[in-house]
Amino acid sequence: MIRLDRVRKSFGSVEALRDVSLEVAAGEFVAIVGASGCGKSTLLRLIAGLVQPTAGHVVLDGRAVTEPRAETAMVFQAATLLPWADVLRNVTFPLRLMRRAGGDTEARARALLATAGLAGFEHRLPRELSGGMQQRVAICRALLQDPRVLLMDEPFGALDALTREEMSLELLRIWQGREMAVVFVTHSIPEAVLLADRVVVMSPRPGRIAEIIPVELPRPRGFEQEGSPAFQAAAQRIRALIYGGRASHAA
Amino acid sequence: MRRSLPSLIAVAVLFLGWEALCRGFGIRPFILPMPSLILHDTLAAWPNVLAHTWATLGTVLLGFAASVAVSLPLAMLIAASPTISAALYPILVITQSIPKVALAPILIVALGANELPRVIVTFLVAFFPLVVGTVAGLLATPPELIELGRACRAGRVQELLRIRLPFAVPFVFGGLKVAAALAVVGAVVAEFVGADAGLGYLIQTSMAFFRTPLAFGAVVILAIMGILLFQAVTLAERILFPWSSGAASPPTSS
Ligand SMILES: Nc1ncnc2c1ncn2[C@@H]1O[C@H](COP(=O)(O)OP(=O)(O)O)[C@@H](O)[C@H]1O
Ligand SMILES: [Mg+2]
Repeated sequence: MIRLDRVRKSFGSVEALRDVSLEVAAGEFVAIVGASGCGKSTLLRLIAGLVQPTAGHVVLDGRAVTEPRAETAMVFQAATLLPWADVLRNVTFPLRLMRRAGGDTEARARALLATAGLAGFEHRLPRELSGGMQQRVAICRALLQDPRVLLMDEPFGALDALTREEMSLELLRIWQGREMAVVFVTHSIPEAVLLADRVVVMSPRPGRIAEIIPVELPRPRGFEQEGSPAFQAAAQRIRALIYGGRASHAA
Repeated sequence: MRRSLPSLIAVAVLFLGWEALCRGFGIRPFILPMPSLILHDTLAAWPNVLAHTWATLGTVLLGFAASVAVSLPLAMLIAASPTISAALYPILVITQSIPKVALAPILIVALGANELPRVIVTFLVAFFPLVVGTVAGLLATPPELIELGRACRAGRVQELLRIRLPFAVPFVFGGLKVAAALAVVGAVVAEFVGADAGLGYLIQTSMAFFRTPLAFGAVVILAIMGILLFQAVTLAERILFPWSSGAASPPTSS
């Protein structure tokens, strides 16, 4: 449903992406890994319609993406909640902004917050929540839009390791119950392998796709699969691509 | 209450020291009256003083309201477009470099000796920090929030009203507090030049007849008026925008 066709994106003289072609099927979970500055965020922004490609095409459902679309939703690295609005109003903000809020919006928001373990926090202000809770609010905000494409830019990057694992599993559970493609940028190789159907490995300067690695692990997934040969093989391959010729292990 | 106790004690000590100084050195009241005499003379003329106080308060509130009514739309215009900003900012700065005391007599000749020129002078003194504060707030909105708005298909107007303006609220209130204090200054300046009522007028006429204690009384009332207006703005912020006044800093991702 998403198709990038030989996409190039330059910012002035900086070539952020070169010749990127990628297809994401409806309902597919794709992870993107790569060093800082190799254009991962730019790639998400292109799919979101927040920036336009310098060359090539970004197509969603057969139509070129020229502006943000109602069927995509984005989760940023920081929660980016409105400091003046309580949790409930933060979650409903996009729908209200797009005039898509209906009579059941608030009830659906409350139900989503409850599944995210945030029942009882509906009327708290963002600054009263921990970082993990804020990020869950941001994810609920994206999910309430019922997106067919969910774009996540290092959504768990600011969280501690335990919260991070817990939220990865939560995300998988939510994704399994929906018809929703996810493009998930992360710095964590195990996270990418655990979550994704395919892992896109990018290389820097200029940002390109080095290789796309399918992850042949049965679903539902869990951290107990981390020891399995398929998991290890995928993780090893990704590491080799990212670190290139350099040693991928300390002497 | 407990936190304001030290400042109350400090003020009390100041007034007692002042009283002792005047009595000890026998300073003549028309040069520096002692606090007890100020209180006595002010209370003696109380109905009169009260009428002047209401007159000044009226000018202050009208001028303050005018600066709010003009500053907020003006700030939005300036923040909305670099071109408008480039066109308007120099004019604003010019209005700030003109001494308002110099402008007051001109306005009074042009507009007549009524409330209008006084309100205009008050407005001119008060509105600038409000514009500057509001513009700063509108432009300080984090780019992530702007991008969130864009991802939600917000247009320019929606971005301004639903994201930038709410974000600017703490900045607006910072400007409102300064404007409230300055509005008192502006009203008194205007009354010095052309008025038949008001505390500024009272100070001038009292000094003309060497009734220094009464002039001091008017100054004290002006100070109290400034403090109360400042507190009223602070209270309004706390009631209307609890998230603004309570926040030491914007929420972080930690
Ligand atoms: N708005 C922008 N203006 C100028 N340069 C940008 C902009 N956004 C990204 N870049 C540049 O593009 C490259 C890729 O950035 P980004 O997509 O943020 O990488 P990543 O998310 O993988 O760390 C970087 O060199 C960055 O400096
Ligand atoms: Mg990035």
